[in-house]
Formats: sequence, structure tokens, C-alpha cells
Amino acid sequence: MPSFISNFKERLRLPRLFFRKPSRAEQIHGGPPLEFERPIPPIQWRGITVVVVLVVLAASIGWELCCRSIGYGPTLNDNEDLWTLRRRAVTPESIVLIGDSRGWFDLDLDELQKGLGKRPIQLGVGGICGFPMLADLANDKNFHGTIICSFVPRLFFAPPGSPPMEIGEKVVKRFHNQTPAQRASEYLAMPLEERVAFLKQEELDLGELLKRLPIPNRPGALVPPRLPPYFGTLDRERRARMIEACADPNGELARRIQQIWIPLFTPPPPPTYISKDVFMAKIGEAIGGRFRDTAAAVERIRARGGKIVFVRFPHSGGLKELEDRDTPRAQTWDPFLKMTGAPGIYYSDFPELSGFSCPEWSHLSAGDSVEFSKRLVPHLRSALKM
Amino acid sequence: MLFNSLTFVVFFVIVVVLYWSIASWTLRKNLLVTASYIFYGAWNPPFAALLFSTTAMDFWLGRQMAKAKDQRSKRRWLVASVCMNLSMLGFFKYGNFLLQNFQWLVARIGIIYQPPHLDILLPVGISFYTFHSLSYTLDIYRGVLQPTKSLRDFILAVSFFPQLVAGPIVRAGDFLPQLVRPQPLRAGQFLWGLALMTLGLFEKIVLADTLLSGSADRVFDYAGPLVALDSWAGVIAFAGQIFFDFAGYSTCAIGAALTLGFHLKDNFRFPYAAIGFSDFWRRWHISLSTFLRDYLYIPLGGNQVRPFRAALNLVIVMFLGGLWHGAAWTFVVWGLLHGSYLVIERVCRIFFEDKPWANHLGTRILAGVATYAAVCIAWVYFRASDFTIASRMLGGMFGQHAQGDAILSTREILQVALVTVGMISVHCSLRDSNIETAVSRLPRWAVTAAWALMACAIILTQGTSNAFIYFQF
Repeated sequence: MPSFISNFKERLRLPRLFFRKPSRAEQIHGGPPLEFERPIPPIQWRGITVVVVLVVLAASIGWELCCRSIGYGPTLNDNEDLWTLRRRAVTPESIVLIGDSRGWFDLDLDELQKGLGKRPIQLGVGGICGFPMLADLANDKNFHGTIICSFVPRLFFAPPGSPPMEIGEKVVKRFHNQTPAQRASEYLAMPLEERVAFLKQEELDLGELLKRLPIPNRPGALVPPRLPPYFGTLDRERRARMIEACADPNGELARRIQQIWIPLFTPPPPPTYISKDVFMAKIGEAIGGRFRDTAAAVERIRARGGKIVFVRFPHSGGLKELEDRDTPRAQTWDPFLKMTGAPGIYYSDFPELSGFSCPEWSHLSAGDSVEFSKRLVPHLRSALKM
Repeated sequence: MLFNSLTFVVFFVIVVVLYWSIASWTLRKNLLVTASYIFYGAWNPPFAALLFSTTAMDFWLGRQMAKAKDQRSKRRWLVASVCMNLSMLGFFKYGNFLLQNFQWLVARIGIIYQPPHLDILLPVGISFYTFHSLSYTLDIYRGVLQPTKSLRDFILAVSFFPQLVAGPIVRAGDFLPQLVRPQPLRAGQFLWGLALMTLGLFEKIVLADTLLSGSADRVFDYAGPLVALDSWAGVIAFAGQIFFDFAGYSTCAIGAALTLGFHLKDNFRFPYAAIGFSDFWRRWHISLSTFLRDYLYIPLGGNQVRPFRAALNLVIVMFLGGLWHGAAWTFVVWGLLHGSYLVIERVCRIFFEDKPWANHLGTRILAGVATYAAVCIAWVYFRASDFTIASRMLGGMFGQHAQGDAILSTREILQVALVTVGMISVHCSLRDSNIETAVSRLPRWAVTAAWALMACAIILTQGTSNAFIYFQF
């Protein structure tokens, strides 16, 4: 029996032109004109290709219809490239919205434009710590515009290496390192995402679908909590809007998301490999560092004539109870404003801002976000001395 | 641009349509050169100039070498080419690494030296295209290749976009002859090329990125001790991930080249079915192992020297092979481990090859399992970013952290197990065959179903544009 190697040589090396004299053109490159050819499986490729194309088309259409039938609609994916696209739109005098998803969902760009005289640029991202964005703008020597930063203590004080910080650093890094190919891919992807409902990387891709399999975990396994399902749409300006199906606080979707926020906002237990005291000391150090770094970033922006205001957006129900208990205002918001010296707007300080209820406890519905933004504008103008 | 990106899809369609609609062979080659430089410049346009300068220099040096009257002059031109290529590679890839090690070394003798941190951006695929280009002057020196008279053809041989940034390492001697005359458009070859591209993307997007990378990343990034199950699951996940990632890229490259009428050699041949480490290296990253064999191991004396020297040669080659992968001592240890494995295998062969039990099925299976396990252990050093992580991982794998944490979900462990069992089964069943033979033997409906399933899975996975692991090399 011939060995595999000789079999392979037999198959791939076909010196079919070996026995004749190479032409003059072939002599240019010395060696044999064509040293080897890959074998092509001798089957009916045309017929197979036609069937494959038809099957893939039919499966894609079927999957699209299925996704739409269970409530998904076309919307842009929020990724680093879309963020970078908006970050590039920032001019030295821009009004920029940064921070977590509350400022992202709860602020309406049209209302802010009417009230502040300039269309803001939305750079908020879900589940993010706003500090990397703030630091990036502070380091941008040309920037002397206005920053409106959403503040959720658990996210803003997230320690280095934690997901909220990593996501923030990732988007900023992409802005600085984006390749022309990545930029082109985003321009090509947007028209597709605006038309095809199943193109949702964070929800409907194979990896996310596999996560939904009801497979129980080993006891004691430190598995990260699940993220909430799809409940918002996004446009090219990165304006996020809650979908109608989520706007009903007693609806199935809103109730499901409410139960997902609780484990997400509950502090994880200290790691088993560090003593609790050491861990708490490290966390305290990280928070102290974040206070100082933020104060320095605010100072840099102000020194160039820029302005900044921190905003605590509405939240409700069990999530509000949890946040008030674990990150009380007196230990987070108040000292934070004092140390940074920046103005702040805490929604519950103003009756006209505190009457809103978040259907899924963390964000306003699309309709409420317009009204909230309208009512927020005078406070922003006052805080920013506009 | 990445194969798994929309930009590449559009770019590729445009290139293929234009390529086959142009009748002139010269224009077609010009188109491929332009497309290849656009493909490369889409990462960082200035690096295209670096690629061009390396290529042009080697073209000129190759001609000088051919003109040289005696062996000594030839050698001088070769040394110039090797120095030029390796200094380029050394500066961009190893600059900071060398400075850090120099700093450490002088500190041992009491000199405090703080080197400046060179803010060097690594040109994508520099290790690959340097070897593409270097193979040309090396082969001219060895007398197995005449220098080409066409700079354009040489530029294309070095920068041909399917294999430019992550291999296979295509030697100029294998590619230049294919530029002599155009290949006609053959439907079977073109469509088989598309099928191979689908297979490559399926390996990368679905198997490597979706089913395996998450578990590998979580385990290697975890800062604490892990129990044995999670440690092994993470390492086995990485073993699968790196295979599917790199073999996926190579398969895409081979497929894309076929659609344009070019033939690239296999870079992988079912490596996890290897029995022994020399067998593994005949199946894993074949273009690199043959490059190192022909241009380093054989010139060092190969097997034609005393056994001790031959063993030392092996270790030297694998040391440099490890360093080629990255500027870190972890890669060096990975290379040295493989060098040691190869030496141990040789010693075992001397003593046991003739024993009657050596070729029994049971022995072969045991040897295959041992090879896979040892390769996985070596992967720990390849994946870990430092020795602390590597030793923590090995500690977990060998039961030192009985009280460690369990961080993978049952689903993730099942995913890793299923994909690994599937992968090893395919490798074992096709061990002495190749993909073309396997496809030829399948019924038509099975080929159709497999191709359609892979395409559907790619669409369902939506490709999140994760860079291929080997881009960094």
C-alpha cells in the first residue's frame, strides 16, 4: 500500500509538462512551468452550487420571517465601528453625550437640539463605564465643547479589568486604531442591518442562541449573569429607543428584563483567591483612583474652556431599591460632585423630572424619553451656564 | 481586510469579476497586484510602502546574486538579503522585546538602564511576507530558481492577497511558475474554490470564534486558580480554536487562489491525528515547517551529522520557530518544548521502533493520545501571556487546585467536548487521505447539504470580525 506522502505527491504534483521543452516565456522563471495542481473533486459542481444557493436563500428568508414573527425588527448593531463613526463627528465645540445606557435611551437628540441650540452627538453605550470616554475627550487637545455624562455609580466606579471598563476602553481604542477596512465594513453593514431583522449580533447570532439552551450548570460554577434581551432600536446617530413591546411595565418582556437587572447590578462575591479584606481594599483604592482621575479629566476639559455636567437618570422599582441600598447617594454622587467640582443633575431633586417610571426599571420608554429630555433642557442650560 | 468581513466580500466579488472579464494576462496580473496592495493597505496604508520596499530590494538582490561570478559574491548578496529581511522583522517585531531583555541583562551586572519604549506598530503579516520574499533569494542562492525578469511578477508572488498576511508561506519558486501563462476559467475549480472558502470561514467564524474562543479566553484570562476540568477544557478549547482559526485562514486562502486560477499547497493535514511529533509537524503549518527544514535544519547539517548534533539542530530550529511566532519567552518555551518532544521521539524510535508491539493498533492509539496531550500542554505556553498564567494553568490541569474555581458553564464544556470529539474523529478518519478525496467519495446530496449547512451557519453567526490569531505573527 502506498504511503500517505507518496499518495499525496501523486495527487498534487502532476508534472504534465515535464516531458517537453519549456517555451521561451516559461524559461523566464526558471523551474517547471506549473509545478503542481490541486486536484478538483470530480462532481457536478454547477448543480450543487445552484441547490446550495437556493437552500441558503430559503433558509435566510425563513429565519428572517421567524425573527420578525417573534418581535424582532431591523435595527443597527451597536458596535465599536458605529461608535467610532459618531466619535469622528465630534468637533471641538460639539455637545457630546457619554456614559452608560441611561443617557443613551433617555435623551432625545431633537429635543436637546431645540433646547441647547446644537445637535448633540450620542456616544453612550450600554453597560459601560463612562470614564474611558471622558478621559479620551479630556486628552483630545482640540476639544473644548460640552459633555453630558450619565452617571450610574456601579458602572462609573467599575474597577479596571471589569466588563464596563473593558467595553469603554475597547470603543475608544477602536476610534484611535480603526483601519480603513473596518470603516468600510461599517458603511456596508448599516444598510443591511437597517433592513434585515436577524442581523443582531448581541441577540440572534449562533453563540447567543446557544446560550439560551436550558442546560443546568454545575453547583458552585461562577457563571456570569445573563444580559437582557433585545429591547431597543438604534439609528445612524446612535439614538437608542425602547421598543413598544417593552414599554408596558407589566408586559412579559419588561418583567423578564427587570429580573435580569437584579443579578447584573448585585455586586459579585469577592474572588476566592484573594482575602475579602485585601479585595475590599483594592476596590476602595480603585474607586479612589477613579475619583481622582475623573477630577483631573474634568479639570483638563475646563482648562480649555469646555463644560461638563453629570446626570443621574430615572430608575425605578426593585432596581432603584438595590442601587439606593448598595450605592447610596451620600457615598457616591455627593462626594463625586464635590471632588470633581462639576455640576450635577439628580433627577429626583426636581419634581418635573421625578415623575417618570421606567417600564423595565432602568430606562425610559421612547415616548417618555422625549418628554424627559424636554424637561431636562432648562436644568442643563442652568448647570452649564448657557 | 479580514476574510470574515463585508469589505472583503465586496472586494473579492469585484476582483473576481474584473479578473475573469479581462482577456489580457498582463492586465490581469496588474489587477492582482493592485488588489493585493489595496487588500494590505486597508489595514494601514503606509505599511504597503514597507511591503513594496522589502520586495523591491529582494528583487534587486536576486538579480545581483544571479549576476555574481563566484560563490563568494553570491553569498555576500545572500547575506545582504537575509540581513535586510531579518533586520526589518527584528525592528518591527522584536525591537521592544530585545530592549527589555537587554535592560534585564545589564541590570544583572548592576547597570540601571531605562530604554525608551519604541512605539512601534507591528505591520500585519510581516513574518509571512518576509518569508515569502526571503524564499526567493534563498532559492536563487541554492540554485533551484532563476531570478525572474519581471518585478511585477515578483511583487505579485510576495503580495498575492489570499496568502499575504497569514499564510500559507508560499515560496516564490512555487508561485512564479504559475505566472507564466494564464489558467483558463474552469467551473469546477472555481466552484470548488468557493466551497473551500465556505469551509474556511465556517472553521473560523463558527467553530473557532463562536464555539471555542469564549471558553479558552475565559479560562486563560481568569486571575485565580481553576479546577482540573475547567483548566483542561480551556486548553482543549484553545487547541481547537487555534487549529480552526489558522487552518480556516489557510483553507480560505487556498480557495480564494483557486477561484483566480492559482494553486497553493496544503498548510494542514489533519494534525490532531498525528502519531508522534515529527508526524505532527508534517501536518501542522506545513509551509513553515518545510521552510525551516529546507532553509535552516538542512543547512545546519540535518540528519547527516552525529545524533547529538542532529538533536541540537532540531532544538535550534524549534527555538527559532517559537520565536518566529512572537516576541515573548512564552513562545520560545513553546518552541523548545516541541524541540524536546522531537528529540525524545527520536530516542524512543532508536530503542523501540523495531519492537513487535510498536506497530500494534493499541500502541498507535496510545501514541496518538500522548501526542495530542503533549501538544495541548505546549499550547499553554503559546496562549498564556506570561509564565505566571502558564504555571497556574498547568497547576490546574495537573490537579494542584482541587479547591480552585469552576467558571465554565455546563453548556460551554459540552460545546468544547462536542467540537473536539468531532474534530479528532474527522482528523482520524481522514488521516491518510485528503479533503478532495473525501469529497469525491461523498454522495452528491451530502456535499450539497454540508456546503449549505456551513453557509447557513456562517450567516447565522454573523461574523463578528474577530481577527485571525496568526495575523499578529
